[in-house]
Amino acid sequence: MHRMRKGFDEFMGGRTLQVAALSAVLAGTIPGTLLAQTHKEYRFNVGPRAGLSVNNPYGSVSVRPSTGNVIVINAVLFSDKVEVDNALVGNRVEVVSHLLPGSDAQSGRIDYEILAPADASVTLHSSSGTLHAEKLQGDVSMEGAGATVDVRDVTSAHVRVKTLNGPVTLTNVQDGHIEVDSLTGKVVLRSVNGPFVQVVSTSGEISYIGDFGDHGDYRFTSHSGNIEAVVPDSTSADVTVRSVRGEVHDDIHLQPKQHSSIPTIKEGVAFVGTMGRAAVSSTVVLRSFSGKIHLRKRAAE
Amino acid sequence: MTCVELHESLVDNETGSSAEQQAHIKNCSECAKLVADLLVIAYAAGDLRAVHEPHPRVWKSIETTLRREGLIRQRRSLSLLPSLSSQWSWARWMAPAAALLLITLGIYLKQNPQSKNAISETTAEVTRPAETVPDAATGLNDADLLQEIAKQSPALQEQYADNLRHVNQYIQDAKNVVAADPTDEEARRSLMEAYQEKSMLFELALDRSLQ
Repeated sequence: MHRMRKGFDEFMGGRTLQVAALSAVLAGTIPGTLLAQTHKEYRFNVGPRAGLSVNNPYGSVSVRPSTGNVIVINAVLFSDKVEVDNALVGNRVEVVSHLLPGSDAQSGRIDYEILAPADASVTLHSSSGTLHAEKLQGDVSMEGAGATVDVRDVTSAHVRVKTLNGPVTLTNVQDGHIEVDSLTGKVVLRSVNGPFVQVVSTSGEISYIGDFGDHGDYRFTSHSGNIEAVVPDSTSADVTVRSVRGEVHDDIHLQPKQHSSIPTIKEGVAFVGTMGRAAVSSTVVLRSFSGKIHLRKRAAE
Repeated sequence: MTCVELHESLVDNETGSSAEQQAHIKNCSECAKLVADLLVIAYAAGDLRAVHEPHPRVWKSIETTLRREGLIRQRRSLSLLPSLSSQWSWARWMAPAAALLLITLGIYLKQNPQSKNAISETTAEVTRPAETVPDAATGLNDADLLQEIAKQSPALQEQYADNLRHVNQYIQDAKNVVAADPTDEEARRSLMEAYQEKSMLFELALDRSLQ
């Protein structure tokens, strides 16, 4: 905290373009309580491939690309029981929602709208808010127990997501190294591809809609959640599917594979095969203990 | 990353879950098998804690030794946890202790590759007794976690208890499959992932308690 304060003092001392402090006070009513919303804005000059870290226990964080090497943070504070600690440390901006005594999920809430250079590495943490990042090219890490995670239009990045029960949606993530862990939250991947795409869930449902790229390693595992992959005709992949106690369904009619890591293929429980041109295919492993696994063809539009 | 670098990296990440480690493990069946074996051993060792909890002086001694060797550093976030120090101290030092165990075993196995089979057999033996003790599926102490959640966020205790049940069942199922066929690489991987899920549950719970 002292380091953050020190950073804040430096920041106030002129290392940033501008500090626009209180710009608006909005009145909002919560049953039994009157909470004033305060809007604050902070700007930081950063270099190429800057870092941005936001730890916001209650509330949302949204990151979009800025123009130029500047990070602009717009914060809406829902009461005076929470404040924004921020610091520019080297080429990294660190933001923490500092909960004051007596704060709770409502009064401790801050919603952030952040503009950051597209090549910035972004780390977001919230227990219960929505975490959103779009049109970035740097690494993205998001973590939160009940946080709703939404990542879209990200290219050539390492995307790391951890949630307990918050739903996770990744849309149009190209050439990514993707790791998603969720205990019970539903995970949806749309048009996601890259050299490594892994989703692990305990009881959450996993849904993949895309073409598995052309050279990646895709691994989706759930203990009791269902797994569904919907792929177009043009998909090329080596596929291994196995459910220990659940069911597997293959609507694609895979071609038999010569070398299988599954010693015994049991109808309705496991299958191994290839689709499309095996020479340029990805490796796909779908695995569940008691959930259903369904591999099906995307309906013609 | 070479095999030696993989072994060295296990000091910082004993689960073998980082991108670099995964990339190497994917292409090196020996190291993949090694990490899976060591992970099971490390967690099985954790089970023993419930039977015989070392004196706090032992953990303090390990901490002192690891600091003197430069193998661990003060983590910034840990400084925020003075009130948790007594209850979570075992968990803090379990990780570096397990890492030390992993590295020691890794170096030993590297120098004595023929012993890997013996270790695998031992692993299978260690795994089987756990099937009969479902509540002691891991070395992580569920009661401590739920107690901490009850203290910090009582409303979430039921949710975490439910998550714990799910993830413990996941671990148990994965263990059973590995026990049934210790050579099943995918089963071993699932067991590692199950442990990682539980690790994440504790990690996020600890983050929540920090608030």
